[in-house]
Parts: sequence; C-alpha cells; structure tokens
Amino acid sequence: MKLNSLRARVTTFYVGMLAIALLVFSAAVYFGAKTFLTRALERKLSNNAHSIVDDYVVPRGEKGDAWFVEEMGESYPPGYSDPSVRVSEGSKILYQTGDMRDPFVNMSRIPLPAKPKWFGTFHREEVSSEQQIVLYTLRYSAADGSIIFVETGAPIEPIRHALRSLLLALRLTSPMILVVAAAGGYLLMSRPLRPVVTLTEQAERVGRNQLGERLAVIPTGDELERLSHALNRMIERLETALAHNHRFSADASHELRTPLTIIRGELETLIELPSLPAPVMEGIGSALEESSRMAKIVNSLMTISRLDCGGEPMELAPVDLAEVVRVTLDQMGLLAEEKHISLGFEPGEATYVSGDAMRLKQIVVNLVDNAIKYTPDGGNVRVSVVAEDRKAVLRVSDSGIGIPAAALPLVFDRFYRADEARSRESGGMGLGLSIVKAICMAHGGAASVESIEGKGTMFRVEFPLLHVSASPDSAEKTKTVYSS
Amino acid sequence: MRILVIEDEQKVSALVKRGLTSERYAVDVAADGMEGLELSETYPYDLMILDLMVPRLSGAEVLQRVRRTNTFLPVLVLTARDSIDDKVKLFELGADDYLTKPFAFAELLMRVKALLRRGPVNRSSTLRVGELELDRLTQQVKRAGRRIELTAKEYSLLEYFMQNEERVLSRNMIIEHVWDQSFDGITNIVDVYVRHLRSKVDDGSPFKMIRTVRGTGYTIRGGNET
Repeated sequence: MKLNSLRARVTTFYVGMLAIALLVFSAAVYFGAKTFLTRALERKLSNNAHSIVDDYVVPRGEKGDAWFVEEMGESYPPGYSDPSVRVSEGSKILYQTGDMRDPFVNMSRIPLPAKPKWFGTFHREEVSSEQQIVLYTLRYSAADGSIIFVETGAPIEPIRHALRSLLLALRLTSPMILVVAAAGGYLLMSRPLRPVVTLTEQAERVGRNQLGERLAVIPTGDELERLSHALNRMIERLETALAHNHRFSADASHELRTPLTIIRGELETLIELPSLPAPVMEGIGSALEESSRMAKIVNSLMTISRLDCGGEPMELAPVDLAEVVRVTLDQMGLLAEEKHISLGFEPGEATYVSGDAMRLKQIVVNLVDNAIKYTPDGGNVRVSVVAEDRKAVLRVSDSGIGIPAAALPLVFDRFYRADEARSRESGGMGLGLSIVKAICMAHGGAASVESIEGKGTMFRVEFPLLHVSASPDSAEKTKTVYSS
Repeated sequence: MRILVIEDEQKVSALVKRGLTSERYAVDVAADGMEGLELSETYPYDLMILDLMVPRLSGAEVLQRVRRTNTFLPVLVLTARDSIDDKVKLFELGADDYLTKPFAFAELLMRVKALLRRGPVNRSSTLRVGELELDRLTQQVKRAGRRIELTAKEYSLLEYFMQNEERVLSRNMIIEHVWDQSFDGITNIVDVYVRHLRSKVDDGSPFKMIRTVRGTGYTIRGGNET
C-alpha cells in the first residue's frame, strides 16, 4: 500500500474523523452515566429518609421508643441495610444500622449532624482514604419540640466501579472499531477507485503502444466518466497530430526523393557518355556525390522524425546488448585500424534489453563511428556494456579532441556540429547523434555525454534492463578487438 | 523481354525507359495505375516496375489486382517511403522486390536482371574475374596463382564484387549486402574496406581490377580488353 495514494489518504482522513467522533461519544456516555447513577442513588437516599420520617419517626410519639427500634430493625436491619440509616435526637442516637459489611463502611466514624447547611441536602463524607459515602440528612421537628435527624447513606464505590467498567469497555472497543473501520474503508475505497486504476493502466498502455486504441468509457455518469471522455478526446487529438506528422514525413520524403532520383538518373546517363572532357566528368561526379549525400540526409531526417513521433513500429524483442556491440565492432574494426586507433571492448555479462536489434546496432555504429572520427591517429576508443541499477548501460569513450563545455548540451541537436570545419572534412552530417538520441527515447532509454576538451569524450546510453546472464568469456577482463 | 513501367513522374519513367532500352529490353510506360493495370492485362509482360504513389489507382491496389489474375509476373516496387511496415506490407501484397528512391540505375538494373533470371544464379564453387580466382569452398583467393590473405569482411566484399563482374555497385548496395542497413548513411566504412581490399588485390599488379566510379560506387573488371 502506498502511503501517498488517494486511497490511503481518504482512508486516513475518515478514520481520523471517526476517532474524534468516538471520543466525543465516549465522553458523553461516561458523564451521562455518571450523572444518572449519582441522581438515582440520591433519589433512593432521600426517599428512604422521608419514608422513615413518615412511617416510623412520626408514630414514635404515640407508640414509644421500643416499637420504633423494633420496627426500624425490621425494615433496616443493622449491618446489612442498604442504605445505612441513623436516627438521632441531639447527641442521642435513637437507631442506627451501624457499620456496613459488604462493602465494609465504618459508619460510626461519621460525626453526628451539626451543620445546618447539610439539612435537607446531600453531602459526601470520607470514611476512609479510599471510601466515600453520600449522606442525606433530614431534619424533623416533632410536635413536642424535639428535633430529630434522619440520615441515610450509601457508598459511592458501586457507582465508581460501574463507571470504571464503562470506561474500560469504551477504551477497548474504540480502537477495535477504528481498526475495522480503517480496513473496511480501505477495501471499500478500492471499489470507487478501481475504474481510476483501470483507466490509468489503459492510458499507460495506449501511451506505450498504439494510439489507435481508446480507453473504455466508465459508464458511471460521474466525474470518472467525464475524465475518460476527456482522455479519449486528448488521445484522438494526439493521434490526429501524429497522423499528420506521419503523412507529412511520407509526403516530404516522396517529394524530396523523386527529384533526387531524377537528378541522379540524369547525371548517371551523362557520365556514361563517351569522351567527356575531364572538367565535365569532375563536375558530374561531384554533383552525383552531393546528390547521394542529400539522399542520406533525407533518410536520416525521416528516420528521426518517425522515431520522434513514435510512428515507427519497432520489432521489440529481448536483445543482448553486449552481443550487438561485439558483432558491430567486428564489422567496424578496419575503420579503427586505419587510424591506428585501438578499439577495445570489455565483454562482460550478456545484458538483455527489450529493443529493435537493428536500431540498437545503429546506436553502436553511430557512437563508435563518431568516436573514431574525433580521435586522432594512435588514440584509443573503449566500449563497455554493463548492468547498473536495473539499467543496461552502454559507454563509448575516446581519447579524442573532446567537446567544449558550452557545446555539450547541444551535441544531440539536429545538424549541430561542435567543430564545423573538422566534421565536414570527415563527412559528418550532424545527424548521427540525433538519431542515437531518437532511438534511445523510442526505447524508453536516455543518452548523455561527458567530455573534457583535449582529453576525450564519453557517451553514455542507457536502457531499461531486462536481465543479465554471465557469459563464459567474462573471465577475460579486457579484450582488445583491434589494435595497431 | 518486355517490361512495364508504371510511374507518374514522367522524368523518372523516361530515365528508366532509356536505361532499360539501352540494355535491349522492350519497355512500355503507363502514367497512372488504371492505365498500368489495363496494359498489364493486355500484354504478356515479363516484369512490372511499379511506383507506389501513382494517380487514379494506387500502386498497392494495382499490385493486389494484378496478383488476383497473375501470380507469376515479377513485380519490382519503387517507393519513396522506407518505413518498415511499408516494406512488410509490400511483400504481403505480393511484391517480389522493392527499391527505395533515390536509386542508382545500376541497382535497378541488377534487381531487374535478378528478377528475370530468378534462380539460376551463379552458384559454382569458383568465381573467376580475369586472373582473379575465388574458391567458395576453401575460401581461398588467388590472383595469377598468387595467394591473397583476406579477412572475413574483405572476403565477402570481394565475393560480392566478383558475383557482379563489370557492374557498378553503389555504396548503398554494398552496405546492404556485406554489412546491414544500420551502417547506412553514417560511415565511410565501404571506402575504407574497399581501399584495403584493393591494396591486397591490386598492389603489385600493373592492371587495377577494382575501380572507383565517381559518384556512384565501385566495380570490378577483368583485364581482358586492355
């Protein structure tokens, strides 16, 4: 799962929102329960106190103390009664249930009611360090003028216990809810996102291969359907533009090549004529040479333009780049030998790329030819093919005249020559490196150059690597194919 | 031998006609696809030279229709395009060979001759041009009985020359036969190899067999007429 994917971001966002909602909900439940439980306890205490006054304290005047104690003992047995009860007159205790056993509450330590502000209200008393009880004190003025206090009390502990359990339950369930929600949400998000993923994959395929295809429109009627329509319209415009480019290339090559054919044919007919004066022969020969140079330029330009616009369907197959280099260098050895240049190749592993073998070969031919041209007699040209970081890298370095730093960014441009006089003399057209670059791009690769003036130049071409396999002669570290 | 040329560019067809006529072929010219098709259905031609871009009926259509009735007529296609799919399509349509414009007439002539002969190519094990002898079995080359040591490339270059004695071979033809198209257009590789071959074959002999034809290419010639 990618952390920055839309899916992960949306899921994170809504899990965050859910967490906040859960927190608010838990707080509400907790404080609501606390208030409700406290109120219920207080109501019970006050009801008990009032019924004690009505049922036992009032009739006590007529029926006497013995009856009172007996009746109280029956309704509120000492030690067990919940709530615990104490009835007092001044400092004299008329009845009390005494200490409670379960939970143990030491009731006798609670002082007799003295403060008037407690009368008719609830207050809390500490009976021990961790025990609190709620007390309700009711003041009753008897007919004979005596003042009787009825106190009912109960420990808070059961409420606290219930609240602790509630809190625990909330703390346990919330993370579980969040985890389930996150997982569920992430899975759920894949449904609305699936068309987007499909669309992306299709668009990538169309971009790589033929523009003739169209994306399958997502018939959801929403933004995604609009997106797929928009993308299709874009592809259509691209296709039209490319078709124009293609047709232009074809038309232009036709229009240029037909006159070239005629020029060439006429000149060839002329040169066949017997007994031509030498200057005429010379002139016709020179014109013929120029016409074939022009034909080459037209060919190269068409090649570049077709590669650039992606209109050239290439025969892609796994090709061992090292083998292509080896075979090509074998065929070019004499070019180096003529200038006493040592042409070295380090055969390493078989390095497979997906490519058009003829086109890859053209890269090697152009780079090596270029290196030989710009290297003075007795220099050297090195070629290597290695797999680096999931790329197949072809390097062609020479000990030649180098390229000025200012010219480096321009060497792959069409018709660019670092050194006008020199390259014309060696027959260059300024298109070889443009073709190298165009072929690289068409293969999803890249071409770059480094150079130190007067020391040499290194061209580096890289392609996505398919795989490598060690070749048997890899032990031979450096093998000089041809040397002077 | 009667050849039909379907080519709308009048100057090109005139050149081809002139050249082929001087080689003693009978040549008819049609300026558009329709006319060409009608001619091809009227007369029994031995070869058709067809430009792909002709008016009224495109070269591809002419080719298709001709193939419906006549599967044996050799067709050499002239095209100004050179992209790979065009070529593949051509062969699928039934072309026997193609030539990309601009072409050297020597090359056109060679292909015409090859198509007309079709098969009985010189496959004998020994090629001879003048006093030069090339044994295909042992890959040995001798001039006037003296052994000449050649590298593999020089050998195939010489073999190609000797197969086409007296014919002018353009650099393009040589590259396509001895190397491959990826060497086309960039290098002076043909000149370098021919120079080396020439020094091995001709040095020390008064008669120079391998000759440069200015602007066109090279040719090999036995020394009989001098």
